[in-house]
Amino acid sequence: MTSVDGRPAEAGATTGADGSARLDALLDKLDHAIARLEDARPFAKRQRAGGPLDLARRAMAEPGGVEAVYDRIRRLEGAGVFHDTDWANPGILHASIAAQTLRLADPATATLEALSQLRMLAVSRGVYFHPGLSSEQAANFLAQTIGLNLDLLLSGPDEAQRSRPGQIGDVLRHLFAFIVGHVDPAEVVDQLIAEIWRLLAQRPIVVEEIKSMISQIAAWRANDETTGGAATHGRGGWGADRLISAVFAPTAGCREDPGLEVYGARLAAMDDAALAQEAAGLARSMHDTGLASAYHAVFLRAALDRAPTDFIGPALGLSATGMDAYRCYRDLVRALIERAVHPETAQAIYGLALMLERGVLYQPSVGPGLWRQIGLKLAPAPAERLRTRYGTARAPEDWLLAGVLSVLGQPLGVGQGNNPTCQAARALSMWAFADPDYLLQIVAWTARDDRLVMAFEGAPISSDEAAAGLAAQAPADVDPVSIVAAPHLDRIYAEMGRRCAERGGDAHRWVNPEMHGWWVGRGCALAVDVATGRLDRYEDFVRRFYAVYHPLHNGGQPVIHPQPAGIAMTDAAARYVGWHAIAIYRVALDQEGVMRVYFYNPNNDSGQDWGDGVVVSTEGKGERFGESSLPIADFAARLYLFHYDPLEVGRPDSAPADEVAAIEAAARRSWAADR
Amino acid sequence: MTTETEKDPNKGYIALLGWSLNAIEAIDRFDRRYVVVAPDWARQYAEDNGIPYLAWSFDRLNERSYELGERLKEMGVDVAVPLFEETVEWAGAVNAVLLDNPRLMNQAFLFRDKGMMKRRAQLGGIRVGIFEEADHKEDVVKFLRRVNSALLKLDGDPNDPIHLKAFDKAGCLGHRVIRTPEDVDAIPDDEFPCLLESHLDGWEFGVEAFVKDRKIQFLNISEYVRLGYSVFVPASAELEKWRSRVEEEVEKLIEAFDVDFGFLHPEYFVTSDGKMYFGEVAYRPPGFNAFELIERAYGFNAYQAMALMFDPKATAEEVEGFFPKPVVDAKGHAGTFGVYPRRRVINALEIPEETEKDPYFEFHELAPPLENKVTKRSAFGTHWGLVYFFGDDAVRMRDVLSRQEELDYYV
Repeated sequence: MTSVDGRPAEAGATTGADGSARLDALLDKLDHAIARLEDARPFAKRQRAGGPLDLARRAMAEPGGVEAVYDRIRRLEGAGVFHDTDWANPGILHASIAAQTLRLADPATATLEALSQLRMLAVSRGVYFHPGLSSEQAANFLAQTIGLNLDLLLSGPDEAQRSRPGQIGDVLRHLFAFIVGHVDPAEVVDQLIAEIWRLLAQRPIVVEEIKSMISQIAAWRANDETTGGAATHGRGGWGADRLISAVFAPTAGCREDPGLEVYGARLAAMDDAALAQEAAGLARSMHDTGLASAYHAVFLRAALDRAPTDFIGPALGLSATGMDAYRCYRDLVRALIERAVHPETAQAIYGLALMLERGVLYQPSVGPGLWRQIGLKLAPAPAERLRTRYGTARAPEDWLLAGVLSVLGQPLGVGQGNNPTCQAARALSMWAFADPDYLLQIVAWTARDDRLVMAFEGAPISSDEAAAGLAAQAPADVDPVSIVAAPHLDRIYAEMGRRCAERGGDAHRWVNPEMHGWWVGRGCALAVDVATGRLDRYEDFVRRFYAVYHPLHNGGQPVIHPQPAGIAMTDAAARYVGWHAIAIYRVALDQEGVMRVYFYNPNNDSGQDWGDGVVVSTEGKGERFGESSLPIADFAARLYLFHYDPLEVGRPDSAPADEVAAIEAAARRSWAADR
Repeated sequence: MTTETEKDPNKGYIALLGWSLNAIEAIDRFDRRYVVVAPDWARQYAEDNGIPYLAWSFDRLNERSYELGERLKEMGVDVAVPLFEETVEWAGAVNAVLLDNPRLMNQAFLFRDKGMMKRRAQLGGIRVGIFEEADHKEDVVKFLRRVNSALLKLDGDPNDPIHLKAFDKAGCLGHRVIRTPEDVDAIPDDEFPCLLESHLDGWEFGVEAFVKDRKIQFLNISEYVRLGYSVFVPASAELEKWRSRVEEEVEKLIEAFDVDFGFLHPEYFVTSDGKMYFGEVAYRPPGFNAFELIERAYGFNAYQAMALMFDPKATAEEVEGFFPKPVVDAKGHAGTFGVYPRRRVINALEIPEETEKDPYFEFHELAPPLENKVTKRSAFGTHWGLVYFFGDDAVRMRDVLSRQEELDYYV
């Protein structure tokens, strides 16, 4: 108990009763501070939030405090403790940033993050129904944060954490103990591993976060083996071996993760048979997981100098198609490896392999375009953005070239990161897929000139004159190509929208074809009336969609070019969340005979539950890497905008009436509930 | 929650002079229409947040004060409420126009000149210490000598200090304590003219008096634990014993300054022989967020109370129903401590562990340091931020607040 002169009792002598008296006093004050924040006008929220935040921090530093704050989390958020901060919109939060914030931030920021974790827990357990966050999203987020903090979770804060100001070490210890009380660590690890495999099945280009989760699992298992814990007793950890080896020990030559120099020396001493083994092992590991190890880069660079046997093709795991492309463009590919493939940029190896497999080098302008890219010098601003993101160990030019290989090899692996730039991500992805030499041109302009000019209905728009885009800052958590090009595309896209603002109707009708390419249909169907937001001739909308896209109703015509489309996003409870940009790539039967739409979703994680039984699949239903898919009726029930060629409208009356009616009912059960 | 408060068109339309987020926020929640009159730098924020706003530069009172009055009158504003020392004379000028009462202008000048203020109080039969206006450093030395010789001090005896204050600044700004002629050399020339006062040994406290129809509607005594550092509300029982005397003194002020309505913030000393001395009086919200302390302790919002006092359309019933009973209705004692770095070189903000664990500690509004070097303080300067406390026991509150002076918040 604190004595009258204000001096605290000896820390060790604090008894439970005194601690709980102190906690009660803090909670009294916290409740008062929350009430005061509830009363505050929006413009005063930020200023008033300091009190509740500080009191919540001190309460959480007391035993039992985290639970008490957890009980108040909904009130805290309702009162405005997250108001005007990055945490206000939980849908945009990033697990890796959350983990960093908990570990490194000042007390106030770390407390916000801790409260955000409690919110995630409450939402994931269904005790807090959150408009901007589904319980699945929250559970995934929580699993990822836990995955990135396994050490804190399982062994408690280390000395560096304990000595942080503001008792943050105690807060974290109590926080994770509380979370573990509600989730089983072995289960979390299993969930995390499943989560990693699920993410990898979408073959993202940006994999740093996944790799860092894998290192955490590796550390956890190493620790667990010595302590005889869950991993060795069969609980937890299933499927981890392949992940860990893919990053740290993909082959026999580096089984014990010996370090890159040692591996280089071993390669120099190997004969052709052993090298063939290594090449095959590296290729298998990479194609199994979508992850390339730093050892792989060491091997490829060594292979450049190896003669007469050429191990590059085998190390890339190329098929006959890929090998043929390699043989035709051998000098170019070797130059690309020389410049772009280093231990730091190893992930580009996967892009290189897939680029060769796609055969894009046979398009006459792609090869010369890549030669230009190899010699391209960067303007200071994009170079600086790349250095900020990737450091200075490699030149920004090397990172960008590596990024170009990734994008050309994995067009559907482009993600928007933690940014409102789904349009720019979709455009980059679409060009990498359908128009790669144009993509190379965009990269050259934006990287070399730090400027991009696009025409909108004949009038040029320059990115350096256009006003701000949707993103307040240049996206930083994305792939190198997006880092360089996305800010320009974002601004131009926003400017095109501004130029349509007066027209009435949905601006995408005009912007999408001008922005993305000539192949985007000039016809544009909209499910809602823009002025009122209500459904507008919805049955016609659905029938037209079937007539244009459904192979059984459009004369068996497959989708020729990817077409931008708009989705009414809903959460797992089928509540409307917002409009979202995607692209339709294919409509085809899956292996069970279900007609599915295969589409690209620029969200980093496309496996989403949209509620009312609509669960987006990302693997196992005939998807190619990076594709999302839904049965066409489910897809139609969330679609609100699509493009078509007005000269190819097909027969709208062909769609079966009961299916159309079911789609309308499903739309009205979800996003169109009060439209 | 944050639903709009209905604005009652039958009640007064208030102009707030000066930009104070706490005040704006409180009046936004109140049932009266309002407009904030503030310099141009506030425009963007006001527009972004939908705060009714009129741009005005308060640099110097000039012939344009009449223009501001006319502008507000055209808008239908009933009365102007000053939020800062610098806007008190503007409020006087504006209210002279709005309420068609030229006397208010002169009254405001009295509140703005500490020399005139004391003389007026003295004329009204209020006990004040010895004071004098000073134009040069020599005047200060002369005053120091005269005061100490009157106290029959011999050469070599330590001097009784004197106080030097700017005429027209709020609270502790420009307040210096002078003990020796050498201290006088440290005074920059631009601080003249100023006011000199003898030192009173005793208990200093502040009063917040809400006045309507020449009557005190609510009176709070703020106990200063140490001037310029800490204060709490309501005062301890020991000080509250003086309440009826304090009320008499404030009534004298109302007569002397001819105050029909508004808000008075006087400061007094009680000396060891039981005499009460008037220090000075302000016609605007006190520093150290005393209004927030009153709200914390009593639950009513003092900015709203202030607007009510100024509002010519407020009814007696509304005023009657607004205030709680002093002292007995308080839910506890609310205190605040102004932090100054104690070290010359600092690296970080760190709440002392002892404070962190103290059950009276609520929260703080301190920011991490931007610079490592702390500038030496010559006068009572501005604190770096406030720390808030709340608890049941006034004696313990006093101890906790005075203990804070010995702790390092910046290390």
